[in-house]
Amino acid sequence: MPARQTDAAQHPFGAAVGRLVEEFGRLPGIGRKTAERLANHILSCSKADAVALADAIRQVKESIRRCNVCFNLTEQEVCSICRDPRRDRQIVCVVEQPKDVSALEAAAAFQGTYHVLGGRIAPLEGVGPEDLTIGQLVRRVKQDGVTELIMATNPTLEGDGTALFVTNLLEDLPVQVTRLARGIATGSVLEFANKEMLADAMRGRQQF
Amino acid sequence: MSTEKSEAIVIRQADFSESSRVVTLFTREFGKISCLAKGAKRLRNAFEGSLDLLSECRIVFIRKQSAGLDLLTEAQLIQRFHPASKSLLHLYGGYYIAELLNSLTEEHDPHPELYASTANALVSLSSPQSPVAAIFRFELTILHEIGQLPDFRTCTICHSTISLDDQSRFWVSESGLICSRCGHSDYQQSAIESGTVAVILKLIESDIAKLDRLVISDRQSKGIRRILNSIIASILGRRPKTAALLKF
Repeated sequence: MPARQTDAAQHPFGAAVGRLVEEFGRLPGIGRKTAERLANHILSCSKADAVALADAIRQVKESIRRCNVCFNLTEQEVCSICRDPRRDRQIVCVVEQPKDVSALEAAAAFQGTYHVLGGRIAPLEGVGPEDLTIGQLVRRVKQDGVTELIMATNPTLEGDGTALFVTNLLEDLPVQVTRLARGIATGSVLEFANKEMLADAMRGRQQF
Repeated sequence: MSTEKSEAIVIRQADFSESSRVVTLFTREFGKISCLAKGAKRLRNAFEGSLDLLSECRIVFIRKQSAGLDLLTEAQLIQRFHPASKSLLHLYGGYYIAELLNSLTEEHDPHPELYASTANALVSLSSPQSPVAAIFRFELTILHEIGQLPDFRTCTICHSTISLDDQSRFWVSESGLICSRCGHSDYQQSAIESGTVAVILKLIESDIAKLDRLVISDRQSKGIRRILNSIIASILGRRPKTAALLKF
C-alpha cells in the first residue's frame, strides 16, 4: 500500500528499518514503541542471530500444517497426539482453536484425542457450520466408533451454540455428547463469585 | 467526557487487540453505543464475564465527545441469555434480534420501549414455548420505534380503513397495505390474507402476557414472515444475515 511504503521510507535509519518496524507493529500486543525496540534489537544483534530468527519464521510457515485427523497444527500428516497409541481414540475433545489443545494438554488431565473446529459458529460474523470442520467431525464419529464427544468450545453464547449445533447433528448416532463443567474456580471465594458462576456451579454439582 | 451509567444488552463484540474488545451495547438510556472494553479478554477483568453476546448488564462508561469509541469501565451481569435448551431456533432468534438492533438503530438514539421489548423477547426465547410470536412482536416493535411500521389498518393509496373482510394486498415497494379498490397490476404486490393482518394487529396491540395464548398457523406465520422480510430488506437494502436461519 502506498501509505505504508511512504511511512517506512521516512524512517530515519532508512526504508528497510522502517519496513521492519511496520512488520513488528502488526504483531498482536506490539505497539509502535515496542516495534522500534524490537527493530533496534535486530539491528544490534549478530547477523547469524537475525538470520536464525528469519529462518525460524520461514520454516514454521513452510512446515506447519493441519493434522489430517484432528486438524491440530503439526509438522507431519498426522499429529503426535493422534499417532500416540496410548491415547483413547473413542473419546474426542472438540475445541475451537489449536491453542485450546495446548491449554488442555498443559493441564495433563485428558488421555483421549482432539478435534479442532477452526472457530465457532458465529452467524453475526458470517461464520457458518460449513466454514468449520464439523462435517469431518461427523465422519470421524461414524468411522472411528467414537463413544464420547466432549464439547470444549468456549463457554460463551456462540461456543454453547456451536456445541448445541453439533449435539443436534449427532443425536441419531450412538455417541454421548458432554460439555465441560463450569462454575467457581479452584482457590477462589464464594463471596466474590458472580451469580452466574454460582448458578453454574450449583447446576453442575457432583457427588462428594 | 462524562461518566454515564445504564442497563445494557450486548449486541455485538469484536476483538480489538490481544486483550481488548470493542463491544456494541443497546442501552436503556442512551440507545446503541460502541465501547472499547480494555482487558475484556483477560480472565480477571472489570467486566466479570458479563460481556457475552445478548447478556444484560449494568454498565459504567465514559462518553467521548469526539467521534471516537466510548470507554467501558465497569459491567455487572444482570442475566445471561440462555436460549431454551436444545433449540437452535430459540438461539437463532436471539442472534436475529441482536442483528436487527445493531443494523436498524442509530448510536446515542435512546428507545427505552425497544429496550424493554428486547428484554421481554429474550426472556421468551429462554422459555421452551415457540419463539415465533416473540420474534414477530420484537420485529414489529423495532419497526414502530424507528418509524417504519406500516399502517395495517388503512390503505396506503386512498387512506380508507381496510376491513378485515377486504382482499387487501401488500404493496412491496411502499411497504404498506392497499385495499381491493386501489389494487393495480403495475404495483409490485402480494396477497395478504385477512387472518394474517388480524394476527399482526394482535401482535402489535396485545399485552405481552397474552402473546403466549396467541395461536399463529403455519400459513399465517409464513405470510407475516414474508411481509416483515420485505419491509426490513427494503430499509436495510439487504436481507439480514441471520434471517435465513429462521425457518418459519
